[in-house]
Amino acid sequence: MADVSIEVTVNGQLRRAVVEPRLTLADFLRERCQLTGTHLGCEHGVCGACTVLLDGQAVRGCLVFAVQADGGSVTTVEGIAAPDGTLSPVQQAFREHHGLQCGFCTPGFVTSVTAFLRDNPSPTDEEVRAALSGNLCRCTGYQGILAAVRAAADTTSAGTVNAGTNNAATTNQEAR
Amino acid sequence: MSAAPLPDTAAARYAGSRVRRVEDARLLTGAGTFVDDVTRPGMLHASFVRSPHPRARIARVDTAAALALPGVHAVFTADDLNGDVVEAWYTGTGSMVPDTPRPPLAAGEARFAGDIVALVVAGSRYLAEDAAELVDVGYEPLPAVADYAAARTAEALVHEGYAANLAGELAGAPAETIADAYTSAAHVVSETIWEQAQGAVPLETRGLVAEWSRGSRELTVWAGTQAPHEVRMFAARLLGIPEHSVRVITRDVGGGFGQKVVPMREDICVLLAARKLPAAVKWIEDRRENLMAAGTARHEHGTARLAFGADGTLRAASLDHVQDVGAYPTPWPVGTGAATPMIFPGPYRVSAGTFTHASVFSNTPGRVAYRGPWAFETLAREVTLDIAARRMGIDPAELRRRNLLRRDEMPYSSPTGMPYDHMDPLETLEQALAVLDYDAFRAEQAAARSRGRYLGVGISCYAEPTTPAFGVYATEGATIRIEPSGKVNVYVAGGSTGNSLETTAVQLAADALGADIADVHTIQGDTAVTPFGAGTGGSRSGSMIAGAVGVTAAELRDKLTKLAAHKLEASEADIELARSRAAVKGDPEAGVSFAELADIAYFQPYALPPGMSPGLEASARYAATGMGLWACATHVCTCEVDSMTGKVTLLRYVVGEDCGHMINPAVVEGQIAGGVVQGIGGALLEELAYDADGNPVATTFMDYLLPTATEVPLIEYAHVETAPGPEPGGYKGVGEGGAIGAPPAVVNAVADALAPFGVTITRLPLSPAVVAGLIDEAGGSQ
Amino acid sequence: MKPAPFEYHAPDSAKEAVDLLAELGDGAKVIAGGQSLVPVLALRLAVFEHLIDIRRITALRGIEERGSSVWIGAGTTEAEIGHSDRVARHVPLLSRATPLIGHFQIRNRGTIGGSLAHADAAAEYPAVALALDATVEALSPRGQRTIPAAEFFTGIWATALAPDELLTGVSFPAAVNIPGGRQGFAIEEFARRPGDFAVAGAAVAAGLDPGGQVSASGIALFGLGPVALRAAAAEAGVLGRSVREIDPADVGRAAVADLDAVPSDLHGSAGYRKKLGAAMVARAWEKAVKEAASG
Repeated sequence: MADVSIEVTVNGQLRRAVVEPRLTLADFLRERCQLTGTHLGCEHGVCGACTVLLDGQAVRGCLVFAVQADGGSVTTVEGIAAPDGTLSPVQQAFREHHGLQCGFCTPGFVTSVTAFLRDNPSPTDEEVRAALSGNLCRCTGYQGILAAVRAAADTTSAGTVNAGTNNAATTNQEAR
Repeated sequence: MSAAPLPDTAAARYAGSRVRRVEDARLLTGAGTFVDDVTRPGMLHASFVRSPHPRARIARVDTAAALALPGVHAVFTADDLNGDVVEAWYTGTGSMVPDTPRPPLAAGEARFAGDIVALVVAGSRYLAEDAAELVDVGYEPLPAVADYAAARTAEALVHEGYAANLAGELAGAPAETIADAYTSAAHVVSETIWEQAQGAVPLETRGLVAEWSRGSRELTVWAGTQAPHEVRMFAARLLGIPEHSVRVITRDVGGGFGQKVVPMREDICVLLAARKLPAAVKWIEDRRENLMAAGTARHEHGTARLAFGADGTLRAASLDHVQDVGAYPTPWPVGTGAATPMIFPGPYRVSAGTFTHASVFSNTPGRVAYRGPWAFETLAREVTLDIAARRMGIDPAELRRRNLLRRDEMPYSSPTGMPYDHMDPLETLEQALAVLDYDAFRAEQAAARSRGRYLGVGISCYAEPTTPAFGVYATEGATIRIEPSGKVNVYVAGGSTGNSLETTAVQLAADALGADIADVHTIQGDTAVTPFGAGTGGSRSGSMIAGAVGVTAAELRDKLTKLAAHKLEASEADIELARSRAAVKGDPEAGVSFAELADIAYFQPYALPPGMSPGLEASARYAATGMGLWACATHVCTCEVDSMTGKVTLLRYVVGEDCGHMINPAVVEGQIAGGVVQGIGGALLEELAYDADGNPVATTFMDYLLPTATEVPLIEYAHVETAPGPEPGGYKGVGEGGAIGAPPAVVNAVADALAPFGVTITRLPLSPAVVAGLIDEAGGSQ
Repeated sequence: MKPAPFEYHAPDSAKEAVDLLAELGDGAKVIAGGQSLVPVLALRLAVFEHLIDIRRITALRGIEERGSSVWIGAGTTEAEIGHSDRVARHVPLLSRATPLIGHFQIRNRGTIGGSLAHADAAAEYPAVALALDATVEALSPRGQRTIPAAEFFTGIWATALAPDELLTGVSFPAAVNIPGGRQGFAIEEFARRPGDFAVAGAAVAAGLDPGGQVSASGIALFGLGPVALRAAAAEAGVLGRSVREIDPADVGRAAVADLDAVPSDLHGSAGYRKKLGAAMVARAWEKAVKEAASG
């Protein structure tokens, strides 16, 4: 089976690679880019742990082949904090509200919530729950996560947070 | 919920505060190290060939085609690996117990759909899976024991040598000895309650990387485990090499809940194979394997028999209990299984009770521990109590109020010999009911019923032995080293799987030493540098780490105090340790930092007090004084049931937990909430279902349904700290209780909502189809 | 859980894609968003030697008003459809169905062409296409043809597409063209959790004439058979009658009365599904005619 050359911009950095067509984007990120923050929890698109932003949109990294991302731009959980390490408002809120325990599902929540709040900065509680329903967590009972997303929404929509700390949002705008 | 800023005073204590977790910065940025994140030079990847049949004779295993695939390094069969086992017993079980069979690879017979028949090792997981498909196994299907409930009379045997498919039986006093309590009772209520098979289902599946160094004959294992030291001891025995030749490294673990408490058969195969391979080998279980083969839990039933006086006073409580242990239970299931009926009398004042227990094999994966492994006792008792309350015409809250033990009745011995102490069950009920406003809910329920809406409230109470303090669990060690810079490193065994053990150790050590929390760091999960500890299990970590850090820090604190008194020319009694400084009472200016003291201890031995050894380091072990710590709780849940679709919507959920003093309330609440939601999943959604032939039908997340953010109510807490534990700090275990209390609270709420239909619920899960079916059977309308 | 190997093709035009399909035969499969296909590949439930990715074919993307219809390119994502004002205005049933599909991360990749071609019995878009009498466009080396939705879904995961045919787009009649002058639309489903495939669901398009007579009725069921189904008897039963005389529960009962291949699994027996299906039809009918009556 013929390998394929691809170019993908990952967290702002252009990556060139020759890959087997069957290599998933999640495995490409983990194994070829050494970005192991993208986790595999089910590999059939349900748990959401592998969620990354592809051209700004939250997608399952396990349901996209790396070859399909050729020419695209990917933001992983490693690209969400500011370059100086300052946590994004979403990450900060998860930290302050006990929104994670084992941390395995966390990257998928962070990327999903980052995209969700960018597109819907003032969600209702019901919208928050619906948006979170595509990510599974087995530790927190979702209590801290719901509180974190509420807090992040209230913080960001109040405009009190320096937008420059949100790398992902910047990437998204460029990609649009 | 947010981390409260700590008061900047010398008396500040971190224990009791919502200190921010030290784990979070790495986990939020994708910088954690889970086992699948580990890469080694030339690393190989493993995949298992699994039986598609619930039971089959393995006539032949032909590996030629798989071995011929480029990139494949080895294919191991039972012939290659099973003979290498030197010893394979778990420390907690011991070598003397007649453990159930647990061959590395299936030899001769596959005993469940998913049983491991061969191990393929290749250059990538993709290739390993390609090759696994090429392994040609000649199966001759055999009739399977699909239903454990019928296994004792089945013709087929799961394991030869275990007649009637019995793995073991235990019983309390003969039923005749307490027959009077039943014959003289005003009411006797007996129900058989059935719980479905469930899985622990951590979001991170099982996995390990094993690397054998031929030159030094050393094994290094990176493991996703709750107990790194158990993996080390087990691996050393398995391979017949000294314990110090094995190093186990565990950083981040994506949940365990009991599933990762001891090495299982796949781990054993990989450990055995590692010695035959030229490079490290990684096995990461995929989700289908996890749902097919990582073990089942909870699959059991029991007949509860409760006797009451005319006023509802509980007179006797007995349980006849049968549990499915599958084909390869891990670890030995009989001892823990018998705990279920022994705890059955629960937090109630009851003088008579007995039990029987049977552990039964079936052709399904095998029973494994899952958060509150004996939780069925609470389900059986609390569901039967509500059924009894309805039959006797007593409100379920009132029935419990009359029978729950009070703190002033402690110590109290249950009829099955459980030595309750330091527990306040009645208070948990009262506080939980107060948070809910039970009477107001009853009024709301009545109003809703008159409008054709079905609301219900369910209560469940339990008593739980936490922090078992015997055998492998009896002691816990810590090493604390104040480095030459004055920074503090705390070494404990670890085994954190999301339960915040790093934060816990740091909080406790900062308090115990008087250090600023920012100066304290912890190293856990590496057996080469941490003292032995049994890891996460039995709701023990918080209390035992508190003990270990406490005794170790006391030694170091003593040394710091003596050193500071010498340096400051003050009396030891006047030295106070706080904020990483030693100061003289009443003279805050006169002080010396930990950094300065460390400099003396490491680099100026001549400046030490006479006789004091250099360095600032201590190691000590803590031994609990009793056999364990009793915790208890009341869960109260309200719901609405759609009588047409059968859908249950949870409205409110209150936990009144007698949790002792809290080290970190955010961690305590997180543990409770996580357990509650697993319990909700068990009550409403999750089922490791098998068809009548023993084939699994829930092998993906599209069929094994975990609760999501849309199924869970907000959880409210009433922390009851009136009966702190007897060990230092007054802590108790909180890891498992949530999962124990939740299923019966939910079941009782649904049964209460459906009371107008005359429905009795005795089987889980309460899927919409099941609930709608119950309503239909009851006549469809009130 | 890794897919078996395959060759990857990413043609620039629909013509090239169709030529590849013809050339490569049965071993080839079209991939669009891949949200249904990739799990099947990962679980190795199916193996294809060739995947033909249509992502470069810009002509397969877009939402356009074409005469009295709205045309949607096969490669248009569910998210794009859900966010489209044009769809909300002219094909409101499609708009309302979209949030019920999976989760937002799935809708960001999943496409309407993929959903229709995959033809899952419990999916929403096939039912919407049936209820609205949509027309599916397909291209093959023999040229372009159109297939009425009613003839498109043929069985379990099976459609009228020939092996060398590519689904290029689908046309939905604009709402104003539903006979009667006043229209209403609703979709109702019951799923174990939000985002799960429906246990049972119904999509309804209703037209009312000025006198309140039912002038059009499209009732489609999902999760209730091997494939999405049109409830023809229920539709006929309401047509021409005054909406006030119609009991929605009767419509529901009629819709499921003749079903004979209702699935039965872990999430519900056939009997339970029929009962749910009747309720979903009743709810959707009630909502749709209420909207029409107020329109």
